[in-house]
Amino acid sequence: MNKDLRNSELLSAYLDDELSSEEKAEVEKLLSTSLEMRKKLDDLKKAKQYGNLVKRIPESPYFETKLMAAIEGHKGQCSLIKKWIPAAALVAVTVIIMVVMKLEPGVIDRLWEDQKVAIAGFYKENLQPVLLAANLTNEDVFNFAFNNELPLDNTRRQYLLLGYDDSGKEFFEIRSSDHKIKRESYNEFISAMNLNDNQKKTVDSIIGSYSKALEAQVLVNEKNTIAINPNLWNLRKAIFADLLVASEKLNKSKFDRIVPSGITDVEKVIVVNTLEKLKNTSGDQYIFVTPDSIFEESYQFDSKLYEKEMRELEKQIQLNEEKVKQFTLNIRFDSTYNSYTDAQRVHSFRIQIDSNICRVDLPEPQIAEIPIPGMATIDPLVEQATNNIHFYAYKIPKIEKTKTEIKIEYYNDDSVYSYVVNYNKLNLDSLAEANPGLDLYNLEKLKPVKPFDDTMLIKYQFDRDYYHKYYSDDEFKKRMEELQKELQQLSEELQNQKIRVHREVTGTPKK
Amino acid sequence: MISKEEENKDLQQSQILSIDDDYSFIRQFIDGDKSAFQVLVKRHKEKVRNIIYITMNNSALVDDIAQDVFITVYKNLKHFRFESQFTTWLYRITVNKCKDYLRKMNVRKIFYPIEDGYEVSEHTSPVENNDISKIVMDAISKLPVKLRMPLIMKDIEGFSYQEISEALDCEMGTVKSRIFRGREKLKEILQPLEKELMN
Repeated sequence: MNKDLRNSELLSAYLDDELSSEEKAEVEKLLSTSLEMRKKLDDLKKAKQYGNLVKRIPESPYFETKLMAAIEGHKGQCSLIKKWIPAAALVAVTVIIMVVMKLEPGVIDRLWEDQKVAIAGFYKENLQPVLLAANLTNEDVFNFAFNNELPLDNTRRQYLLLGYDDSGKEFFEIRSSDHKIKRESYNEFISAMNLNDNQKKTVDSIIGSYSKALEAQVLVNEKNTIAINPNLWNLRKAIFADLLVASEKLNKSKFDRIVPSGITDVEKVIVVNTLEKLKNTSGDQYIFVTPDSIFEESYQFDSKLYEKEMRELEKQIQLNEEKVKQFTLNIRFDSTYNSYTDAQRVHSFRIQIDSNICRVDLPEPQIAEIPIPGMATIDPLVEQATNNIHFYAYKIPKIEKTKTEIKIEYYNDDSVYSYVVNYNKLNLDSLAEANPGLDLYNLEKLKPVKPFDDTMLIKYQFDRDYYHKYYSDDEFKKRMEELQKELQQLSEELQNQKIRVHREVTGTPKK
Repeated sequence: MISKEEENKDLQQSQILSIDDDYSFIRQFIDGDKSAFQVLVKRHKEKVRNIIYITMNNSALVDDIAQDVFITVYKNLKHFRFESQFTTWLYRITVNKCKDYLRKMNVRKIFYPIEDGYEVSEHTSPVENNDISKIVMDAISKLPVKLRMPLIMKDIEGFSYQEISEALDCEMGTVKSRIFRGREKLKEILQPLEKELMN
């Protein structure tokens, strides 16, 4: 062997403390006399250190469960099949198929049906409730009722959106988004309904009672199967209806604005009875979206067994909290879904894939897998209230020093609105909020405010729909003009203090 | 702060202490106590998963291959002869499974050069997004398998040359030579990024 190469290998093993005492002495002698060898040792040390930069893979909490399930599945199989058996079997099977096909041509169709059952079984293995991992908050459940969307992971990057197309047929979308959209619909609702802390607790407990029922509605597994229980559509209506009935009790006058026709005692009884049934009937019918098929099948999710597993997991969380925090269930948009363009092939399920959206249109009939009495009575109530309540999500961009204004986008139903705020100009509302007891003639000690603390802006946007609903366009314009006049007057008063107030602060939003 | 090498030494010591435990769990399994197998899985799964993760450079495959490894162990544990450590046998199976998968992936690439469902870049996890770790893992995945395996086992998992030679079923001299060549090659690949990585 080349002497240099041998010496280099010795150096590498010296670093690992894997030399005999003679070899070690030899290397140390070489190092004391050769600068080149010392440099080589440094180089090898660096290369060895690269290993320290590699991060370990996060622990897999379900690995053992999956493994034991797989072992159970393997038990029945014979592992010692001689090499010649498959070839002989192939010949035999070919002959049998030829004979059977000749005698009974329909057998292939029946085999195909059997195969479908086997495939369904494969994709139904080890399904886990994804919403449990998403740690649903009250805001999430509330948003689900009012905005039809549920987060699917604890980073809030993936959402499930339920909807109805123009013909009234249900569809769902799984969306992934890089934007963090701020929603505070729940708090807005509490303040719009003018509820105190005790009343809020009542609403909290109503919402909380649905979290558990929601958890088992969306299941996923490591085979990228997504199983959605159609009962989700009913549960959404249920939460909405439950909140409506509670709102009526808690603040009748505000409730009358949401449902002007009111709610009768009979309807209340129907709502309460229906909701109890819905909460306790999860239904065993799921829609399975898998990398190679979409199908509707019954599936019994054993929530008790899962709870037991979760208790085990919680123990692990306590032992190793940091590692488990990284645990996130992610749904990948599989490119193979793209092949589902032919409605015939997917039995009238229709699937569309974009880079960050996966939409599945459901076939007829509409969702009614679990017959719930009284659902038809709730529907018009919910629809009326839905038309009268709108919430917005805000997307506030980063403020750049070079610009004097920011463009705030807000979302309402399918529309995106934008509103430009000049944040270099004085904003009275924000100032008043940040400085209780504001003295307009003594403005030297004012606390600075950030533009997104502007409560006037938020309130104005929230009330915009309210204005449209209860005032005509002329009335709305008139009120805005009055507001602008007030600001104008204030501006003139403040001119002596060399502070400018700009009318644009309440400019009309542009669609 | 404990260096990785010290940590590995501690691990090695604890492994020596645990050989008897492994043996006793295997005996329990052979006597019909199936739960003993679960204990063995619990003890060794993370090391097995990590070897697979770094060797394959693809988190999406880890649990499938690890499952395959433990199913093989389960099927053959009754025939374990207590002549070597359990871990030596376990890591040999792990290494062979990784080689099998890599071979299958190479065959697949011949037939599907563009649409390969197992492309490394297709499945990224939060860990893989960690830039430095990913850069080093990508570099390691460029090494030939025969250099990659001993390098991972030594510089990341902290195995001794003896353990590596048993797991890879080759001479100690070969292990020594391959680790050296692996380090040389890795350094060559990462040379342009050396400053950033070491900072």
